[in-house]
Amino acid sequence: MACTRRAFTLAAALTAAAFTAGASLAGEALDRITSENTLKVATDANWAPQSFLNDNNEMDGFDVDVARELAKRLGVEVEFVTPAWDIITAGNWNGRWDVSVGSMTPTKARTEVLEFPAVYYYTPAAAAVHKDSPAANLADLSGKKMGATTASVFELYLQHDLTIDAAGVPSFEYQIEPGELRSYKDSTAVMDDLRLGDGTRLDGMVGSLPAILNGIENNYPIKIVGDPVFYEPLAIAIDKGDAELNAKLTTIVEDMRADGTLSALSEKWYGIDYTSTK
Amino acid sequence: MLYADTVVSDPLVHKPKVIAAMLAAAAVFFTVLNLNGTVFGELMRPVIGEPAEAGYYGQFAIGVVLALLFTLNVVVIGFLKFRLQVVIVWLQLLCLFLAFFYGFNLDFEFIRKKVWFMVSQGVFTTLYVSAISIALASVLAIIGAVAKLSSNGFAYAIASFYTSFFRGLPLLMQVYLIYLGLPQLGYVIDAVPAGILALTLCYGAYMTEIFRAGIQSIPKGQWEASRSLGFKFGLTMRRIILPQSLPLIIPPTGNQFIAMLKDSSLVSVIGVWELMFLARTLGNKTFQHMEMLITAALIYWMLSMCLELIQGRIERHFRTKSH
Repeated sequence: MACTRRAFTLAAALTAAAFTAGASLAGEALDRITSENTLKVATDANWAPQSFLNDNNEMDGFDVDVARELAKRLGVEVEFVTPAWDIITAGNWNGRWDVSVGSMTPTKARTEVLEFPAVYYYTPAAAAVHKDSPAANLADLSGKKMGATTASVFELYLQHDLTIDAAGVPSFEYQIEPGELRSYKDSTAVMDDLRLGDGTRLDGMVGSLPAILNGIENNYPIKIVGDPVFYEPLAIAIDKGDAELNAKLTTIVEDMRADGTLSALSEKWYGIDYTSTK
Repeated sequence: MLYADTVVSDPLVHKPKVIAAMLAAAAVFFTVLNLNGTVFGELMRPVIGEPAEAGYYGQFAIGVVLALLFTLNVVVIGFLKFRLQVVIVWLQLLCLFLAFFYGFNLDFEFIRKKVWFMVSQGVFTTLYVSAISIALASVLAIIGAVAKLSSNGFAYAIASFYTSFFRGLPLLMQVYLIYLGLPQLGYVIDAVPAGILALTLCYGAYMTEIFRAGIQSIPKGQWEASRSLGFKFGLTMRRIILPQSLPLIIPPTGNQFIAMLKDSSLVSVIGVWELMFLARTLGNKTFQHMEMLITAALIYWMLSMCLELIQGRIERHFRTKSH
């Protein structure tokens, strides 16, 4: 069957061509932003009030507003992409997007694959339980079934493996020794399991205070236990290898902090100024 | 009976023993379910008194009444013609499902506000991703099937490696591998093409087997006859073999398309705004994800039903043509 063989060789050649055609796209991120006149921002679409789809089905929220402001000060358009969180934190973006404005904590592990030009606000991380729970302080949560978003600082905190490497952050201690740790896709999923009842699936959770307060506002039967467990510095992240973009973003965020834009946005979305630790 | 015959007998649901067994089973089921606190308890208030205090007597009374109603319903439907039976049972099951969803206390105003965006953005993306993937997978499947049937050792080895590998990995893992792995080779691929590529490769592997079986089902004599007429391989395939194997290939391919429609939801993990992604995202701000999930579920179901109808038509078309 000569024809079969010929058809097959052709197919093999085409496959090989497809793989070699894509030459490496590595290049300076800032050049790409200027030449395409677009700042591509990676955010989570599932994290109100930082970033979510609003009533008009557009991206909205604190992070989204900060990203828009960044693009405005860079003098370019803004475009949002919404890959899964663990894909963003894994680094190696290969130019798929330029910057993550996603309230990312600059942990030590993350600094190995990403660069953090600027911390733009701090949120308190807090523990929450179902409102029927007898837990009165953080120590009561030790040995219990705790939930957190997978690959998040809250999970790292519960695993006692959290190193925050940023200036101006108060030190903290691990006050909870979870009996069992369950990981979830996002903070909403954690709260959905917690709402089912005290101990039904979870005894408690650790998450960001704004997200928990947002849940309580939307009638989730949960309450906050004790004081914030740690303050989480939240930073803008870029891929490794563009010092120019890094410096530029640092300056822009400093300006935004100095002229009160950041505080105003924080007041708008949280009702509280989270841009400095108290 | 599973085949049409002329022996007339009572339907199963009219045999006294079956009716009695059904009644007993239903009574036990509804009693154990304990419906005292529900709307049925309220309806039975004249008989059992205050539902909350009725206890086992209330449970049992409600169980018997519901079992009687259920059995009566089944017996009455048993008298009807086949088609009418099917329609009524479908409607009743559908009502049960809707009542189940209704029990979640959904915010219908919110659904009404979001459903158009789910269709215009979500359904559109889901459909075009699936359609492109199934088209490419069909091409891949023909090449794969020919390679698997050929006497060329390289072709067979590569094709069987391909089907084995891509049928052996979870589709979700393939999506991740292609989206995150290809850039390591220096080829940066966007989310939508990565999703289409993953679906194509995975379903191409399954469909290779379908096409191979279809081609193999054509008797050897057809090949021999066309060779004796001087037909070359391509012409034999195009004019003799494929037209005869298509009626066998089409039904399982339709099945694959319906399955792919739902598996395309896996590409939501890389940020494609298709139906599943929107179902998880739209209700996030106000914690109304149950609303969005149920809406998306019903949309998926309706799409599948449309595809089943289309598949049925195509099958009928080929049946009349080939017989």
